[in-house]
Amino acid sequence: MPESFIDFFKEKCKHGELWLPYCPHCQKAFFYPRRQCPFCLAEGWQWKPASGRGRVYSYTIVRVSALDEFRGATPYVYALIDLEEGVRLASNVVDCPEEILRPDMPVKLAWVTREGRQLPVFVPRDGD
Amino acid sequence: MQLSRKASITGISELPPQKDGRGLRTLDLLAQAARLAIEDAGLLKSDIDGLLVTPPSEDTAFMWPAQVAEYLQIFPASLNMVELGGASAAGCVNRAALLVAAGICRHCLCLSGGVWGTRVFNDREGKSAVMSGAELEYELPYGPMGFNSGYALAARRHMHEYGTTPEQLAKIAVDQRRSALLNPLALFNQSALTVEEVLASPLIVDPIHLLEIVRPCSGAAAVVVSRAETALDAPCPPVAILGMGEACTHDSIVYAPSLTATPIALSAKRAFAMAGVKPGDMDLVSLYDCYTITVLLTLEEAGFCPRGEGGRFVASTDLSFQGALPCNTHGGQLSCGQPSYAGGMSHVIEAVRQLRGQAGKRQVERRRLAFVNGNGGVLSTQSSLVLGGD
Repeated sequence: MPESFIDFFKEKCKHGELWLPYCPHCQKAFFYPRRQCPFCLAEGWQWKPASGRGRVYSYTIVRVSALDEFRGATPYVYALIDLEEGVRLASNVVDCPEEILRPDMPVKLAWVTREGRQLPVFVPRDGD
Repeated sequence: MQLSRKASITGISELPPQKDGRGLRTLDLLAQAARLAIEDAGLLKSDIDGLLVTPPSEDTAFMWPAQVAEYLQIFPASLNMVELGGASAAGCVNRAALLVAAGICRHCLCLSGGVWGTRVFNDREGKSAVMSGAELEYELPYGPMGFNSGYALAARRHMHEYGTTPEQLAKIAVDQRRSALLNPLALFNQSALTVEEVLASPLIVDPIHLLEIVRPCSGAAAVVVSRAETALDAPCPPVAILGMGEACTHDSIVYAPSLTATPIALSAKRAFAMAGVKPGDMDLVSLYDCYTITVLLTLEEAGFCPRGEGGRFVASTDLSFQGALPCNTHGGQLSCGQPSYAGGMSHVIEAVRQLRGQAGKRQVERRRLAFVNGNGGVLSTQSSLVLGGD
């Protein structure tokens, strides 16, 4: 399984599922996927499906993009998302009016297709 | 091994930053800076027995220290390349101090510079060149704007946690410009800046405005670090390295433990502890300023004001050379430009100029102690120095 961890991640994404590497020794999820657990450096970790629930840690609104595929997409929100599983990842917040966007706001998993790749992104959700 | 006061800075040089390389290559720029710094230290090239370099901007980094040594015809007892991003230059000085304190070298040359155009990080190629495999795989598909968006995330979080305002951040660039007006080397020394002008400049990555972002350029800078006892013969007053520290908690900002509690705190604490002094003892500071938020965070994290108070602190403190806490009295990179890795050396050099009393019209009054901080990546690698005048 570690040999194909990027493929596994992408394959799950293709089917609209976000899975996270989880280390049973450390009892912690981690991100990004890598051969060895970054906490204990052991290889025997497992995949677990993510809840898809999290909060925006911070965000920036990109108003001028230097990347071709984003030129027509400005302004867009580049954000750090803290998942309930305790990992942080880079993503976009979509379908969210700028007026309600703020750090710590609750978000949930959604999907976009970009450059032929299915990517996990986040949309606002009701608080808990 | 006791390190404090074992090494001194005896020579400095800084080429005027240029908007382009004018046909020169990194090696040429380094050679010019080397000649001037060795001369400033009152040494001959043959006296140099240590060489620390930052990476090249256009040539291969493979065997780079040897490429530089060969061009300069220097034959060092120790040579190396330091790659800590913006902290590389201060990192060179730190490591040079170790080499001379350990008795490996007597005079160590720290060389930094390169050829950067304005748009060096703008396109996909430029951004990808400074991204790790994980960043390319898990971040680039979401459209990050390189360093700009990384620091924008930090600024946004700081605003959210502490109520820091765009006006407070803008004032940092304004105060630095006041000092830059008296620095003939600064790229932007023609006119004063106002908070309104900073806030009226385009929002590039909200909440960061154009005039809060460094402008990449070309140039080089050099520092000679000498064993303390040999430094007494130097033509200029030697500047003692009293303390140094480093720290790192992440590469990509995505995996930083926090956007507002950074490794700067530990790096600075280590440097102050070695020097046996406190932030409040400093007469001036030279803080890596790729963005205004970097300066604000460094002031907080190094202990010049409590965490979260940075906004109010900069709003009520004159940071110019005439102020209560002179900060980046050369104008910083925000006014001088960022000549590749030499941008970080400019902070060391300005502190040395001030401590020597060679800062001309922007000379600060009290010049006993200075704190210097180099910062690499997005609040990642940190390299701090406490320097003392005579």
